Amino acid sequence: MQTIKAAMCSILIVLGLVLSPWVQASDDPLKSPMWDYLRNVFLGDAPYQFDERVVVSVPPFAEDPTQVPVTVDASALSEKIEKIVVWADLNPIQHIYTYYPLKQVTPNISLRIKVQQATPIRAAVLTQQGKWLVGGAYLDAAGGGCTTPSVANASPYWESHLGEISAKKVLREDLGRYKFKVIHPMDTGLVDAIPEFYLQQLELRDASGQALLKMELSQPVSENPVFSFDLASDLAANAQYHLWLRDNSGNEFEKAL
Amino acid sequence: MNIMRFIFLTLLISTSYSAVAEKLAYQLIPEKIAEDTWLLQGALQDFTRENGGNIVNTAFIVTEVGVVVFDTGPSKRYGEALRKAIRSVTDKPVIHVFNSHHHPDHFLGNQAFTEAKIWALPETGKLIAQQGNQFAENMYRLVGDWMRSTEVQLPTQPLDIEHMPVMPVGKHRLRFMAMSGHTGADLLMLDEATGVLFASDIVFFQRALTTPHTPGLDVWMNDLVQLEALPFKLIVPGHGPVDKSGKSLQQMQAYLQWLDKTLTVAAEQGLSMNEVMELPLDSRFEEIALSRSEFVRSVFHLYSRYEEAAF
Repeated sequence: MQTIKAAMCSILIVLGLVLSPWVQASDDPLKSPMWDYLRNVFLGDAPYQFDERVVVSVPPFAEDPTQVPVTVDASALSEKIEKIVVWADLNPIQHIYTYYPLKQVTPNISLRIKVQQATPIRAAVLTQQGKWLVGGAYLDAAGGGCTTPSVANASPYWESHLGEISAKKVLREDLGRYKFKVIHPMDTGLVDAIPEFYLQQLELRDASGQALLKMELSQPVSENPVFSFDLASDLAANAQYHLWLRDNSGNEFEKAL
Repeated sequence: MNIMRFIFLTLLISTSYSAVAEKLAYQLIPEKIAEDTWLLQGALQDFTRENGGNIVNTAFIVTEVGVVVFDTGPSKRYGEALRKAIRSVTDKPVIHVFNSHHHPDHFLGNQAFTEAKIWALPETGKLIAQQGNQFAENMYRLVGDWMRSTEVQLPTQPLDIEHMPVMPVGKHRLRFMAMSGHTGADLLMLDEATGVLFASDIVFFQRALTTPHTPGLDVWMNDLVQLEALPFKLIVPGHGPVDKSGKSLQQMQAYLQWLDKTLTVAAEQGLSMNEVMELPLDSRFEEIALSRSEFVRSVFHLYSRYEEAAF
């Protein structure tokens, strides 16, 4: 009896040892060491699944680590979207932006970011049913983007042009696209003796002042950021919109389109 | 028995070392392309740990008074291999070295030629002093051990073309031209004795051109127009095979025009950078090595300028 118990016991221990990697291993398709931690930070304990309909596009290599184009396209989802959180796992500041599609927008967002090293880029979509759908892509990079002084820091141009907004509207087949460029240093605070100075809030508003979309921005968004957003084309064709931004020093910028 | 084993092990170890050592040797075999003129053609590839950065063309001219070298390659090891290759052709000393521009594959072999005069455009010298170390670091990352002991050796002689457009070396009259389409400071050299034009990276042939420091594609296209008017018999491109027919210039013009137009139209249509990177290439350029990856890089380097112009 005693020997059977002992044998059972050791079999259980061996089984446990063998199976634990499968039980413990992360389900992250990008195999990132930061997935479990950042999932907890950004998604908490809410249910989630990886979903290929959330498309994150990045170039094969970050040729310029201070200006890496990232496009997040969740337009293939049929579910209603509450918000989209985008982050870079291995950046010193992970959060890039949170995007809220409030009305009549197509969730397809392009902008450029800074990366400090090769990293997964994530987009987590929170549906109105309270479920997270997560997309991602791996970005290869030599790095250094977050600790490089902004170009603005070496040139006084931005001082007299801070917050200047250029805008462009194009009508594509079934969409209207707005593209904006804002003059701003977007300093991360990670460069010696250069305090953080970056745009934090963005809203695209209609004539009555109601927001069509909102964004919360973080330091990794590139200097002089270029944003592009898609709207339903009949709206874009005739409506009067304006863009509003605020930075972490409280400066507000506004531009009618 | 023990002695046998010892000998066997020693043999094994020594042969394994030599096997590894052989792996990291550049196979530079000079090819005669004109009278007194020899070329070492690099692979039509990007920098890898397999090719050790040997993706560039270097060349040398053997004159009565000594050897002239045009570009020194990506590493100290390459520079030394180039010296050996020269030695296989002539016993004359290397007296003049030219660095065509400040990109790492064109000057990091300078360490092997410190007793010669190392010439470059004054602006190229400045750019190497500013960015050379960063380039060298990046090369260590890209090709690894091939770079061992490589350090930046600055050009020693600023080449003032206004005062010295021609340098006679033996019976070779070397005429210099400064262009700027590729990096802002690009040195070209025409050997009037042989008609060989050392075109620097102003000309790529059968290998997609690179744009990280171009002042603008329009500048580059203007350079090519000037270049076409020169009395050359043979073009040595910075990358790719030599060209007697001038086909390389047509290929360059066609690609630059296409790239310029593609980026202009994309910016007008409001495409994002990622969308542009996924655009199809013109079928004329499919046979050019690395055309897809260099197109993506060029979008990185240039698209924001086109976006700016389209706002």
